[in-house]
Amino acid sequence: MAPLVEVRDLTKEFRSFKRREGVWGAVQNLFVREYVTVRAVDRVSFAIEAGEMVGYIGANGAGKSTTIKMLTGILMPTSGTVVAAGWVPYRDRRRYTRQIGVVFGQRTQLWWDIAVVESFKLLKEIYEISDADYRSRLGLFAEILNLGEYMHTPVRKLSLGERMRCDLAASLLHNPPLLFLDEPTIGLDVVAKERIREFLKEVNRSQRTTVLLTTHDLSDIEELSRRILIIDKGRILFDGDLAEMKKRLAQYNQVKFFLKDRSQIPRLAEVTTNGLGLERVDELTYLMRFDRAKHSSADVIRTLVNRLEIRDLFVEEEPIEEIVKRIYLSGEVA
Amino acid sequence: MGSNAFAAPPLARSPALLPLALRPYAELVRMGFVDTLAYRLRYYTGIATYFIYVSVYYFIWKAIYEHGTSIEGFDFSQIMTYVAVGWIIRSLYFNNIDQDLATQVTEGTLVMNLIKPVNLQGALIATALGQSVFRLVMLTVPTTLLLFLVFPVRRPASLAHFAAFSVSVALSFFIVAALNFAVGTLAIRLLSILGLLRAKYFLLELLSGLLLPISFFPHGFQVALDFLPFQYISYVPLLIYLGKLSGGAAWRALGIQIFWVLALVALGHAMWQWSSRKITVQGG
Ligand SMILES: Nc1ncnc2c1ncn2[C@@H]1O[C@H](COP(=O)(O)OP(=O)(O)OP(=O)(O)O)[C@@H](O)[C@H]1O
Ligand SMILES: [Mg+2]
Repeated sequence: MAPLVEVRDLTKEFRSFKRREGVWGAVQNLFVREYVTVRAVDRVSFAIEAGEMVGYIGANGAGKSTTIKMLTGILMPTSGTVVAAGWVPYRDRRRYTRQIGVVFGQRTQLWWDIAVVESFKLLKEIYEISDADYRSRLGLFAEILNLGEYMHTPVRKLSLGERMRCDLAASLLHNPPLLFLDEPTIGLDVVAKERIREFLKEVNRSQRTTVLLTTHDLSDIEELSRRILIIDKGRILFDGDLAEMKKRLAQYNQVKFFLKDRSQIPRLAEVTTNGLGLERVDELTYLMRFDRAKHSSADVIRTLVNRLEIRDLFVEEEPIEEIVKRIYLSGEVA
Repeated sequence: MGSNAFAAPPLARSPALLPLALRPYAELVRMGFVDTLAYRLRYYTGIATYFIYVSVYYFIWKAIYEHGTSIEGFDFSQIMTYVAVGWIIRSLYFNNIDQDLATQVTEGTLVMNLIKPVNLQGALIATALGQSVFRLVMLTVPTTLLLFLVFPVRRPASLAHFAAFSVSVALSFFIVAALNFAVGTLAIRLLSILGLLRAKYFLLELLSGLLLPISFFPHGFQVALDFLPFQYISYVPLLIYLGKLSGGAAWRALGIQIFWVLALVALGHAMWQWSSRKITVQGG
């Protein structure tokens, strides 16, 4: 069977005219326009199978939102192709949108000045949802997302987290097979994030809803998706299993240790002799990084406990944030 | 969640019967109505504003008519009726679709409309219709009562004229709505069209016949206006109200109004198709 979403050599260029500064610049702007072309998405290709949950990450301005806008049929690609749920999103936009749910974390699809439930009623008519489905889905969402209290409040009076939960419910009322989320956890507190993640997992599990989400919070990815796509300057740098990425790209492990007391501090110099890096967390807490290929954790621990008096220690893998930071900074998958 | 909440397949669509296909738009009419409730205070000032406008025109026309009994076939009570009823119906056909669309483009909220399986033109016109229905209750009716009490406003020429007038005003709404949508789509390519919209606003007040009956305009100008939709917004329904258009001429005027509705809807649709491939969404 063909994948649910298939993207090939997708490219989007924005042409915007360069504004000159100052009064003279403004006059020049009127007559001579100099255009600059930004390639926001550059020959991106990937495929998503039905039921997958894929995390799409990348630094600010990498091209995530632009990709999502093309996948949802809002923007016309400059070149390349998208086929999703059997449609070409841009060309068949109105029919295609019945198959998808979309949340842009920075915006709302709910009517600003009227009670949330009115927006839900409108969606019911737009997607021709039967009374029974509407009632049971809304009931369920209200329960899992804890919407009850907010449904009769105008959106403008909701907090960001409350609004986001309502938007998520709105995007799933018609039970679309395909869900696009652009930063669905932006600005949310830990509890709200957790609730949204649980909800997404549940929808993905019980409905086999396929989800593509962008985020800057890597714990979203760790909790939700096994597969990640990393984009940088419009190009895909990595596409694969999260665990696979860690295995391939994690360069070091680290031992986090706590000194017994201050008397140990001068002796720290002794442990860094054989090329092991040391990073200070606070006065008594330190991180020792070591290349997994060159040193074994056991050796490193032995060195530490032989030379220092240590209260406690943990061995950790390189955090995914660090791996990703390295990728963003170097612009390549080493 | 394993319950049957999602039991129905999302694709199960009933055959696209017309009433069913129109239901989202009917719901949008309701949304427009409910949405406007949030701003109902605005309408008290609206009533006052309309009253002031008509008062100003009352004194101007009174001064003009001091030395004659009839200008271009309008006597004083007819011209006062023309002005008062003109403002009354303006409260009905008026809408902000052009500005709404322009704002949606510049603020990027247009995105939220594009991810829905609705026709944007239909959706915006339906919402505007809901707002107009709301204004009918909150603005048109009280303004009508007030103006009829204070000024020498005539009643419609006959019941039949009133019926034709009502249909004509409904068609005016659709002419304005379709025109505004078409103009609004320009924002997609031009991005900043607020200046353009201002110019259009004043031009429309003048060319629709709201400020002055079209028959007061220079002859050549009148001939040109015959080929444009603007006088069918205000001038034509008012002529019907006053009984200056009757029988066959009235039917013909209604027919031309319908023609302009269809032509402007088609124009808006074409302009949307032409512009929408150029959408660049700001932000996000
Ligand atoms: N409408 C537009 N006109 C011109 N350039 C644009 C437009 N939209 C996006 N861009 C540019 O395209 C690039 C990608 O933007 P995009 O919004 O896709 O990034 P992103 O990965 O979503 O970033 P973030 O994490 O900050 O949301 C950026 O350099 C941006 O400046
Ligand atoms: Mg973005």
